[in-house]
Amino acid sequence: MTDYLQVQNIHKDFSGLKVLTGVDFAVREKQRHAVIGPNGAGKTTLFNIISGRFKASSGAILFKGQDISGKPAYVRNRQGVSRSFQITNVFQELTVLENIRSGVRSRNGMRYNFFRKPDNHRQINERTEAIAEEVGLKGVMHMPVSALSYGQQRALEIAITLSTEPELILLDEPTAGMTREETGQAIRMIDHVTAGRTLVIIEHDMDVVFSLADTISVLHYGKILVSDTPDTIRNDQRVKDAYLGEE
Amino acid sequence: MISQKKTPYLVIAAIFALGVLMPFVIKKYQLNMLTEIIVFALYAVSYNLLLGYAGLLSFGHAMFFGMGAFTVAVSLIHIPGLSLWSAVLMALMMTTAVGFITGGFLLRHKGAYFALLTLAFNSLFYAVATKWHKITGGDDGLSITRPDLHLGFTTIKMAALTNFYYVTLVVIGTAIVFCWYFTKTAMGQTVLLMRENEERMKFLGYNTNISRLILFTFTGALAGLAGAFYTLHFQFVSQSAISVDMTTAVLLMTFVGGTGTFWGPILGTFVYIILQNYLSDITDRWPLFMGLIFIVMVLVIPGGLSQIILSIRSLFSGKRNTGKPLAAEESSS
Amino acid sequence: MSEVPVFFLHGLAYAGLLFLVSAGLTLVFGMMNVLNFAHAAMYMLGAYFSFTLLRATGQFWLCLLVCPLLLFIIGALVERFLLRRVHAYGHLHELLLTFGLAYIITELVKLIWGNFPLAVNIGGFLGQTVAFFGVIYPIYRIFIFVCAIIVGLTMAAILYKTRLGIILRAAVNDSEMVNALGFNVPLVFTGVFAFGAALSGLAGVIAGPLLTTYPGMAHEILIDAFVVIVVGGFGSLGGAVVASLLIGELQSFGVLLFPKLSLALVYMLMAAVLIIKPSGLFGEKQ
Repeated sequence: MTDYLQVQNIHKDFSGLKVLTGVDFAVREKQRHAVIGPNGAGKTTLFNIISGRFKASSGAILFKGQDISGKPAYVRNRQGVSRSFQITNVFQELTVLENIRSGVRSRNGMRYNFFRKPDNHRQINERTEAIAEEVGLKGVMHMPVSALSYGQQRALEIAITLSTEPELILLDEPTAGMTREETGQAIRMIDHVTAGRTLVIIEHDMDVVFSLADTISVLHYGKILVSDTPDTIRNDQRVKDAYLGEE
Repeated sequence: MISQKKTPYLVIAAIFALGVLMPFVIKKYQLNMLTEIIVFALYAVSYNLLLGYAGLLSFGHAMFFGMGAFTVAVSLIHIPGLSLWSAVLMALMMTTAVGFITGGFLLRHKGAYFALLTLAFNSLFYAVATKWHKITGGDDGLSITRPDLHLGFTTIKMAALTNFYYVTLVVIGTAIVFCWYFTKTAMGQTVLLMRENEERMKFLGYNTNISRLILFTFTGALAGLAGAFYTLHFQFVSQSAISVDMTTAVLLMTFVGGTGTFWGPILGTFVYIILQNYLSDITDRWPLFMGLIFIVMVLVIPGGLSQIILSIRSLFSGKRNTGKPLAAEESSS
Repeated sequence: MSEVPVFFLHGLAYAGLLFLVSAGLTLVFGMMNVLNFAHAAMYMLGAYFSFTLLRATGQFWLCLLVCPLLLFIIGALVERFLLRRVHAYGHLHELLLTFGLAYIITELVKLIWGNFPLAVNIGGFLGQTVAFFGVIYPIYRIFIFVCAIIVGLTMAAILYKTRLGIILRAAVNDSEMVNALGFNVPLVFTGVFAFGAALSGLAGVIAGPLLTTYPGMAHEILIDAFVVIVVGGFGSLGGAVVASLLIGELQSFGVLLFPKLSLALVYMLMAAVLIIKPSGLFGEKQ
């Protein structure tokens, strides 16, 4: 199996502050890969670079064999990359339906049309409902975001990420701030919705990581310390010293 | 469910019917004012697509209004025998081009920077219009006569106010209805995304630069159409049509009426023009009065008159009201 | 060609005036992220207050002292009671408020003083000319430039040599952090805003005798001030200095060399900066 996502020697400086100092790892198709590491290690910055929010200072990102390093975020999304945000980043005043549909519309080429109404488009609305159902939001589809609970908002965050039918899904701490019970539900939901797709997930919650991940990379102060299977990572001394030992 | 979907269309039909009856019901000078109101209503509605729907504060909308106004005048003066439609069409093409080009410049920046730049550009256009008196008539302005409307089988004389009123009602009225329809289309919803979270849009496959440019050009063209009919109505245009004062006027109309609904700016236009007409007989300083209303709204009632009206309504029906335009389903008009 | 030194000096005088107006504007924008459209209205108030005070007392020096003080108080009140109130609604609302204020102030001025130009005569020492370098030059314009330098140096001294200055510069960079460190940032904001208003008012007092005192003077200088902070970079005092000089001289020589285009020159400079370095000569990328 060829490498689906290749992160090659990524460096990122922010006005002198070196956040990433040579990150290398690869993910295979349909693999589930977790990135863990202490706060401030640069995990979200890494996602920002893969998704196209920032440009790397040096290094390359390859997706399906193509160099996407210079491409703007919207192009990467159209090619199949989608990411979620650690702090819920949705369309606040719109309803759940409108939030999810924004991505579904985009996927179906209905972005700048002056004449067609999304309300009248059956296929788009059906797909939107299906996604809402997958994340457990079907009952609140017509409610505005402000009326949702925190857990529901996090579910919406994931729903929007899925709405563009991505092949590569990047989830940034999807269970942040959740209770034990909400986390359990979230794990089941993520397992279900990312079936058959490639997933890279940033997480602090080790239960989530060991439930979902096929492989794990440990990011430590801007560099990958080690990339391996969960069992190997669990028993790696360096990782224990650097990170797991802090728990 | 069906009757609910048809209601807006019934309302629109009723309004048009009312409009058709107006010349028989109201006095001539009132009809004059009504024509002016319809023209400015389009100007305000187009402005609200930027301000209320997209969250873009522009201090330069008069650029397009004035551009449309001048293009009609200049083309009618320099091209003898030019038809009404052709003059209006030229105004549309001109403002679309200007919107596209200036948009390319201005839209790279956001927020206050964008507002600042639109103000600067508007001032520049005004300065050019004032200096270039060979084309624009400078301080004296340009006078035109409305060309008659040739419809193949008949010719409608445009010198009469009533005839021009009907043309305005049909053309500008249709444009306003199209704007309303637009808010429910895919692009109309994309505009809302821009206001709510432009950053996130990029990660959903939207090219936000193109989105902004399309909207800016579209609203500019609409303002240009309003400007074109402004000149046709008054049969005169001077640099005031492209001044910052003209931008301030539409800002006031839109904001006071309420940026949170589609019809708010239309209401604001009514209020502004009627007040202007009656107050200017009493005092020279009626703009101060408008300005005070504006400030009070900014401080206390940011949703304008439409917020007040909706609040009263929700007291009775219990519906919620956020003060921002919502997409399709929740729209309360 | 003997005109060149004269035009150069004219440029310096106008640059001085521009600096006094834009310095406050750029600091407020850099620090509070509020573009104060009413800033130029404060300038105009300074000029009008000065006109009235001068008519009453005949003492220009009194005007220079009192009017900026009045504007300081007005600025503080505006920030504390109006701007802060609207802050919760977002940046758009802050802009609308300052714009509305500018509008109302202009209308009030027209109401109280009339919608026509006023003549401001100062006479005395400042009204005379002096000869140097083979040129007869009005002292008043030199006075303007000297004022600007004094103010500029004082501001630089405060910003770079005092503890208050460090706090201010830090607040321009990251106001939340400064707040988190325990400094009373709202008070700092009020102070800076008020100071900016006072500076603008001082500029108005000075501009009165030089330029025409009329209700449109606010808009006139506002555009140039905007160009200064765009070219100089937001929040940068050094940028305001350089840009003021640039634009002052451009306006001055522009009238001499390209009379037809002189109006557009300033806009062209702004357009050029926007294309080449959008954050301004000394600005930081936002």
